[in-house]
Parts: sequence; C-alpha cells; structure tokens
Amino acid sequence: MSNSAILAIMTILFLVFGYLGVPVAFALAAGVIVGSLLTPVTLQSIIGQMFNGIDSEALMAIPFFLLVGELMTSANVVIRIAELSQALVGHMRGGLAQVTTVFSMFFSGMSGSSSADVAVLSRTMAVPMSREGYSPAFVAALIAAASTIANLVPPSIMAVVYGAIGNVSIAGLFLAGIVPGLMVGLGLMAFCYFFGPIGFRRARSSLANLTAATRDAALPMMIPIILLGGIITGWFTPTEAGVIAIGYILLVVITFLNPRHLRNVPRDFVHAGLIYSLPLFTIAAASAFGWMLAYLRGPIVVAGWIDGVAGTDPHLIMLLLVLVFTIVGDFIEPIPAIIIFMPVVNQLTDSASINGVHMGIVLIVTLAFGLITPPYGLSLLMASKFVGVRFSSALRASLPIYVIFLVTIAFTIFFPEAVLWLPKTLFPESVGCFKAPSGSGYICP
Amino acid sequence: MSRAADIVLASDRHLKWPSLDAVERALMALCGLCMVGFTASTLLDVVSRAIGHPLLWPQEVSSAFFIYGIFVGAAAATRRNDHLYLSAITEAMSGRLRLFFEVFNRLVVLFVGLCLAIYGVQNFLTGFGSFRMPSMLPIAYLYFPIPFCGALVALFSFEQIVNGLRNGFAPVSVPEDVGTSA
Repeated sequence: MSNSAILAIMTILFLVFGYLGVPVAFALAAGVIVGSLLTPVTLQSIIGQMFNGIDSEALMAIPFFLLVGELMTSANVVIRIAELSQALVGHMRGGLAQVTTVFSMFFSGMSGSSSADVAVLSRTMAVPMSREGYSPAFVAALIAAASTIANLVPPSIMAVVYGAIGNVSIAGLFLAGIVPGLMVGLGLMAFCYFFGPIGFRRARSSLANLTAATRDAALPMMIPIILLGGIITGWFTPTEAGVIAIGYILLVVITFLNPRHLRNVPRDFVHAGLIYSLPLFTIAAASAFGWMLAYLRGPIVVAGWIDGVAGTDPHLIMLLLVLVFTIVGDFIEPIPAIIIFMPVVNQLTDSASINGVHMGIVLIVTLAFGLITPPYGLSLLMASKFVGVRFSSALRASLPIYVIFLVTIAFTIFFPEAVLWLPKTLFPESVGCFKAPSGSGYICP
Repeated sequence: MSRAADIVLASDRHLKWPSLDAVERALMALCGLCMVGFTASTLLDVVSRAIGHPLLWPQEVSSAFFIYGIFVGAAAATRRNDHLYLSAITEAMSGRLRLFFEVFNRLVVLFVGLCLAIYGVQNFLTGFGSFRMPSMLPIAYLYFPIPFCGALVALFSFEQIVNGLRNGFAPVSVPEDVGTSA
C-alpha cells in the first residue's frame, strides 16, 4: 500500500473516530496504530514515540500555568481584576462589554489557556451583562473572542507547545504574541464601542476609586510580571517561572487576600493534576501521529505542494499555511494540529528563510482564530454552553468579530518588524540575533 | 459525604460500578500527589540553584512526577469522561443507533488501552537496558505508567460498555454538587 493511502487511512480514521465521540487522544492513537499495522513500524516503537513526545522539559511549564489559573479562579481572587477593569473602562460606551475585554486581557496574562478564560469570564461577566440587556448571543461571542487572547500573550500554552515541538524560543514567542494580543483586545474594545450594544452608561470612576481598585488588584497583577519578567531576564525557564508564580500565589496572594481558601489548596492541586494530563496525553498521541506522518514522508508531500505554488516567497508560504491551519483548526484541536504539522512548517520555514518566531506567531494567531470558527470553535462552543445560547446564534454574533482576527493575521504576516520588535528589543537572542563582534548591540539576520 | 469520597465524579453513575470508585479516588489522589511532587521538586531545583548549591536530582524527580501524572490523569479522565473531544455526534443520536456507536466508541478506547498495556509492557521490559541520568536508574521506571494507564483505560472502557448495555448510555440526572467536574 502506498504511503499516501496509509496517510489517508490514518487521517480518515482519526477524523471519523473523533467526530463520533472518541476522545481526541484515543482517536489519534487508534489512527496511528492502524497505520503502523500497514507498515514495518512496530507498535512498541509507536508507544515509544508517545513517550518521547512528552518527555520534554519545555512542556513541563504547562501544568504550572494551568495550576496558576486554577488557584486564581478557585480562590476567587479574579474578582479583584474584574473590579479594576470596571474602574478603568466601565464608564465607556458598551461598559460591561469593555470590562469583559479588559478583564480577559489581564487574566490572559495569568492563565495561558482560552478554556480557563472562557470559564472565568462566563462565570463572572455573563450574568451581569445579560442583566444589563446584552443579548446572550453577543455575550457568548464576545467572551469567546476575548478568551483567545490567552493563546497569544504570555504564558500561552499554545506558544509553549509550539516552541517545544518546533525548537523555537518560547520567550520569543511570548514576546512576539503581545502585539497581536493587544491588537485583538483593542480591536474588540473598538468593536464594542462603535458597533456593540450601548449598555448602561456609568459615571467615570473617581481617582480614589481607581486607586482603591488598583491597590486591591495589585497582588494578583504581579503574576504576569513574575512570569514574563523572570523569563526575559534569563533568571528562569518558563517552567521555573511557572513554579515561582505558584509559590507567590500560595504564599502571598491567597495568604493575604483569601486565607480561608488555603484549606482548599489540596483540592486545587488534585484538580490541576487531572486537567494537565488531558492536553499532555493528547500531545503524546499527536506526537506519535506526527512521527508516523514524517515516517511516511507526509511533510515532504505537503511541503512540496505549498512549495510548488508559493516557491520561496515567504508571504505566500505564510498565507498558504494560514489557509491550511484555518481549515485544519476548524476540525481539530490546536495542540494536535501544531504537533502533527510541525514537520511541514519547519521544512517551509527553512526553505523560505522565515524567522521561526515570526512563523510561529502567525500560526498561533491563526489557530486562536480557529477557536471561534465553525464547526469546531472550542471557545465559542464552550461560551455558548456556559451562557446558555444556541451555537448558531453565537456564531452569527461572532461574524463581525472575524474581521478583527483577519486584520490581525494579515498584520502579523506583512509587518514582521512590528511583531518582532519586542523580542528584538528585550531578548534579541530569542529571534536569532547575535552579539556584534564589537561587543555593542546585536546583529539580527 | 467525606472529603475523600468527594473527589469521585458523581455524573454518569449509571455507567459505573461502585466497586471501582475506590480506584478513581486513588487515581485522583495520585494526580494530586504527582502535582505536589512535581511542584516541590521543581521549586527545590530553582532554590538550590539560587543559593549557589545546584542539585541535579530534582530535575529527574520532576520529570518522573510529570510523566506519571500524565498517565495517571489520563486513566482517571477515562472513567470520568473528562478527555478532550472533537465532537459527540453520537450524543445527538437515539435508540439502537446510539447504543451501537456508544459501544463502538468505547471499543476503540478499549483497543487503544489494550495496545498501551501490551506494548507498554514490552517497552517497560526493554527499558531495563537504558539508564536515566543522573540517577542511573533503568528508564523502565518511567515507562511503567504507560501499561498501568493502558490497563486502567481498558478496565474503565469495559465497565462503561457493560453498564451502558445494561442501563443505557443517555445521561440520567444526578444531584448537583455531589462531586467535582473537571
């Protein structure tokens, strides 16, 4: 049987099983196992590839980022961030919609996961927004779109996976994600201001109120600074920054702001211990799938197609990959998509001499967009479920928001200097710059 | 209900044997233990380096807790139906068609679980020939959770198939807040 036929069988089995309701990890593993039975590859080596896929120091950051989100949410400390957002932008047109967006921008700097953001935003903002007359469809669409910022800004778990699998600087991806993250956030605020419901008009917060809200939120707002500051100064790896943030939350944030929650911390650890296994077990299965794909020379075939159309034009290559990832992201989870297609991405990145961080952030923004597009827009599915509105209604309300993402993706592709400005300025080595022989400044390729 | 019992998920009771609740409880406790051990060893690694006395072994301990946690959590998530799903077209079905696909889906999971168990044991045995730095322990100790997870995944899938055929797969209403959902 030809390699293409085996690849087709693996992919079809994965999609059929996945859509029938087999968990993603098992659908991927079943596809690989059946594929390997048609080749000389032993099942023992497939299991070995699953192990190799997760035996990575960089992936060890994921449990800590999930635990940060878990502790902050269950200790109910996030309400202080919502109050700060209210004091900052609650007086603007579309007050609570603006608050939701700003709240998400702040919380994204701690959670790293859009699923956590959807859960927190739905829990804290959906009821007050509905009470003020915002339509449930709009609320779900806004929460879903705002939650995707978590995949763009540090400590994005998508960036950790991309960096670990693609051998790209995670710190570089974190820093490069800030500009697109701000673009989505500010774009949503502008959308709510000009096109969204007016909402209740509130008086602007007094300086005293703003100061009080800032003081109350000061301790939790240090978390993004600890995470990013430790990484870009070179003090910590992302994993170590995560554990330092955990120590800070336990010893400072919860101890001072909600000491009664300390007795519930063991439960948070149990819960985090369970939820971190879910993406990582999927990563293990996706790694075996990606390895099999590479064994069957799939990346060479796909890269050959793209190469044939785009040659070595970096913009065209990125546009075609955006197209591929938009389609793929509509059907499967972003993390398996990254792992399965990483060999293709690496080959095209090298052949067109594209900066690895630039390519990474373009694809991460694309996959974040996939979280609110049908049929498998996970964030939109979750938000519509939590808010209690039909997915189709939430989808209709999301359509105008797509423009913000399309503009952000185009900007990220065509203005690499703007996107890479932060990593080049703060952590030049992360984007391939090296110290000038004279000793002053950096030379960037 | 005691706090220990509280970590067993209350939903889908009609698909579970009460006798396996203890296994789920133990797995959840192991998840917490792995998370605590992983956090503590990573913290020790950072602190020992910061005070100028770097230790090598905490890194290996961290990665062991990390890997054990993944496979223990995956096994627990199978019983709790907590895994990540693309879609659940089957849940929209009814009657015999639903029964067929619910069983089929679990047979796929059972098949993968058995492969993990059988070929994981082979990996485990092969792992006695390679060693992990710096402890120089056989890497087999890191491969052990794979067949362990596979066997439990197969057991929980079998449990759901038997109970689903007996009681049906459609969810039945349960009292709120009896357990904790992921």
